[in-house]
Amino acid sequence: MDSTLIKAEGLVKTYGRKPVVNGLSLDIQEGEVLAIIGPNGAGKSTTLDLLLGLRRPDAGSVTYWTSDPARHIGLQLQSTPFFPGFTALENMRMFAAFYGLRLTSDELMGHLRRCGLEEHAKTDALRLSGGQQKRLAIAMTLTHEPKLLFLDEPTAALDPRARREIRDLIRSLSASGTSIVFTSHDMEEVHKLASRIVFIHNGRIAASGSPQDLLDRYKTETLEELYISLTASG
Amino acid sequence: MMTILKTMLRGLSRDIHTLVWNIAFPVALLVGLGLYFNQTGYSYRVLGGVLTTNVLFGATIVTAFYVMSHRNRGVYKLLRATPFSTLSFITATTGARTVLMLAVSGCVLLVGAVLLGTRLSLLSLLLVLAVLLVGTVCFTAIGFIAANLSRDESNVNMISNLIGFPMLFTSEAFYSLAHAPKWVVFIGNIQPFHYLVEAMRIAVFPGEAVSAIWLPFGILAGFTVVCVAIAVATFRWDSEKPGSPKKQKTRITAAT
Repeated sequence: MDSTLIKAEGLVKTYGRKPVVNGLSLDIQEGEVLAIIGPNGAGKSTTLDLLLGLRRPDAGSVTYWTSDPARHIGLQLQSTPFFPGFTALENMRMFAAFYGLRLTSDELMGHLRRCGLEEHAKTDALRLSGGQQKRLAIAMTLTHEPKLLFLDEPTAALDPRARREIRDLIRSLSASGTSIVFTSHDMEEVHKLASRIVFIHNGRIAASGSPQDLLDRYKTETLEELYISLTASG
Repeated sequence: MMTILKTMLRGLSRDIHTLVWNIAFPVALLVGLGLYFNQTGYSYRVLGGVLTTNVLFGATIVTAFYVMSHRNRGVYKLLRATPFSTLSFITATTGARTVLMLAVSGCVLLVGAVLLGTRLSLLSLLLVLAVLLVGTVCFTAIGFIAANLSRDESNVNMISNLIGFPMLFTSEAFYSLAHAPKWVVFIGNIQPFHYLVEAMRIAVFPGEAVSAIWLPFGILAGFTVVCVAIAVATFRWDSEKPGSPKKQKTRITAAT
């Protein structure tokens, strides 16, 4: 598979009679920052679930670069999946244990430090600010040092400062060699972070390419214009 | 597994639901009823009733809320993306709850001995321990079932109460059903709490023929197997798709 980490071919997923993902094929390359964008209900989350192996497709296949993808993939959800009453450090310890790792407090603190949360290690995770919770959710995914990281709307509902902190963190992770797949509704953010964009609409890929490729191909000045144009066309 | 169990116990001890239902409620109930009626025979019934009611509500309601909270927060979804199996997580959750339940039961027994004068032999204590262990697993599984059938917090509250209160009222935890209508006795005989109470009554009450415990204990164990099987079969990791099949994982194919 060369540098391909995940190759999905002809994915179909139907809920009731409605196909949410409809013949979608895409690959994820090592080292890239791939943005999956599209309107609400376009099939982004279901696509992520299929790529992560959380749901079985009705048709199509997903091929991974490794026989044990769960050990090498990290996932940050839109929600904040923290255990009630647990501190940031305890949540880190818990998720490290899910990967069979018994990390020392120093090692866990190292991951928290990387995400700018060192001072909040003993704070109840649910009492952290929105931006801090997102960073903790990312820190939790780093305990097993994944090769590929899925971030589902990592900056949604955050203030500008917190958004910038998350973007800086994503850049830092990418620079250190982690491949990243993220979803977002913020086109400016997508333009700043993504090396490649996949636009999903009605369960299919409506457009795909680097930000500049897409702007040139569709002759629009911004990704937001492109988004509006692709959504309007059906 | 031990790291997860220990971290869970630490978290459980800070959980407000756990504190209210598992510690304050049974001790207050034991002291209140025991001192109000102030009869040796009834003190043993109250002791057994409090220990079993604590299992019924502590394991069922708290587990149901806990599972619902985990599901809605996406903990199970995240868990599915890790190599750790959901079954192992459920086992760890049940293990932590059982340890907590035994600790609380120890407090109840101590308070009973000091304030009500209830004394248990070593054999009684061992039988109480066995009944508590099986009962906690059974009612924790029922808590999982309640959460699996629920969509949100208000739903889980209603379903837990619909399961818990009829079980309590059709049992002999605090009063005799000797003169109750036949249909009440019939309902009591087809639910697990009745057998938990019966087994516990024999375990704590001095003078009972110990061999009589095997029938209710065996039936309780049978209910436990059935409830665990239903809990596993109906388990939902995702709050977004009620009733979706438990196993929907993508087939993993590694490139060669």
